[in-house]
Amino acid sequence: MRLNELIDKLDLSVRTGKGNLGREVTGGYASDLLSDVLAHSREGNLWITLQLHQNIVAVASMKDLAGIVLVNGREPEQETVEKAEKEGVVIMVSEMPTFELVGKLYELGVAGMG
Amino acid sequence: MMRIIRADLHLHTCLSPCGDAEMRATAIVRQAGQAGLDMIAICDHNSAENVNAVMRAGAREGLAVIPGIEATSREEVHILGLFRSERDLAHLQDVIYENLPGENDEEAFGSQLVVDEWDRVVGMNRRLLIGATALTVERIVEAIHRWGGLAIASHIDRERFSLIGQLGFIPEGLELDALEVSRPSSSKQDYGYPVVTSSDAHFLADIGKSPTHFMVEDLSLDELEKALRREDGRRIVTGKMEDLSLHILDIAENSIAASAGRIEIRIDEDRANDLLTVEITDNGKGMDESMLKKALDPFFTTRTTRRVGLGLPLLAQAAKESGGTIELNSEPSRGTTVKATFRLSHPDCKPVGDIGQTIRTLVIAHPEIDFVYEHKTYDSTYRFDTREIDRK
Repeated sequence: MRLNELIDKLDLSVRTGKGNLGREVTGGYASDLLSDVLAHSREGNLWITLQLHQNIVAVASMKDLAGIVLVNGREPEQETVEKAEKEGVVIMVSEMPTFELVGKLYELGVAGMG
Repeated sequence: MMRIIRADLHLHTCLSPCGDAEMRATAIVRQAGQAGLDMIAICDHNSAENVNAVMRAGAREGLAVIPGIEATSREEVHILGLFRSERDLAHLQDVIYENLPGENDEEAFGSQLVVDEWDRVVGMNRRLLIGATALTVERIVEAIHRWGGLAIASHIDRERFSLIGQLGFIPEGLELDALEVSRPSSSKQDYGYPVVTSSDAHFLADIGKSPTHFMVEDLSLDELEKALRREDGRRIVTGKMEDLSLHILDIAENSIAASAGRIEIRIDEDRANDLLTVEITDNGKGMDESMLKKALDPFFTTRTTRRVGLGLPLLAQAAKESGGTIELNSEPSRGTTVKATFRLSHPDCKPVGDIGQTIRTLVIAHPEIDFVYEHKTYDSTYRFDTREIDRK
């Protein structure tokens, strides 16, 4: 499924990287430990987190993730927004908590790595 | 005069909800003394309310206590702030309290006791000290620096609550003064920052585990800062107590404390007989019979407040662990000879380590003392005598 379809279906608000919303999502990964995401996420994954620090942009860019969804309506920090725009990393915000969001993604066919 | 000090810059007290109830001012200071430390820093989670008590106990018992705090950022990264004065620390404390929501639940997280210098409970902190502040790592580091403190990222070699665990890597442009690792083996890695090791002790028994050795003039934060920046000859002394070279340094320090004018260090690596011999001889004031008997006891020290005395028991232990022996000969006003042997092939035989650095350290720090250093291996002998060289 493509990123813009998920954005529509789950009512995600796009904060950065508006030019890259046509990308195919290969799966999902949810974690707030960036070291863990570096170790275990895969290319094209949608990453669900509550971390707002600018390092999330570097992690998404290094792992070539499809995008980052911030949960609980949390807004990215200013530096994070600037870095993400520069790197073309898509950051979205969901009002849902992680559990609900991941459940809905699963229903839509976005699977984990299992 | 420059000397090597042993510092444990990350101790909790009973104020931290996870800190043991025995972690109180005088108990901490006495335990630190027994562990051979010259300096400690008190860094409770998000609060500095026990710093004053420990500083008073330290002043009374002759131990340097640096006022500090371990702040939790919104990313759940722990950052140590070490300060020159309680006043400077109080400014950071205010910023942290303004940004720390919640109330502690003693049942769930543990009690948060405020004590006086005599270890009496005088209060209870009700804030959620285990929680995270609303401050980013960047803001915490900036606030520490605004009041002249040193910012050190805590236990970066752990996954939980560490800068690297939480944020994957060190954020670009973050102006940390040092990184702290909890396992001495992690300090071998090059992170591009100065690395210190500390115990992060929550229990008395952990105080002094993996301390950092600094080459400094005195026990102040200014000197620590210089050592982290490698200014004016100050530095972190690398090498761990796994290395015999640091045991040798310890024994030589005992000789210096015994007013020796001449210290001879001999190392003989006799592979044919599977024997490593380390011998340190001085012409210091020596020991009488009763002192000699106590010298190998870890709780014996010639001074009550400062280290000197731990060197011998630790060396004895190292020798025994590798199937070796320790021999101690001394005569009052004549001097002392310490001779330790090790089985080279024994799996627990410690590496000699950077003996060159140990000798340099001694020679530079003590121009008034003559040093002889002799190192024999199976095919060569190296000998060095400070009286035969121009030290400059």
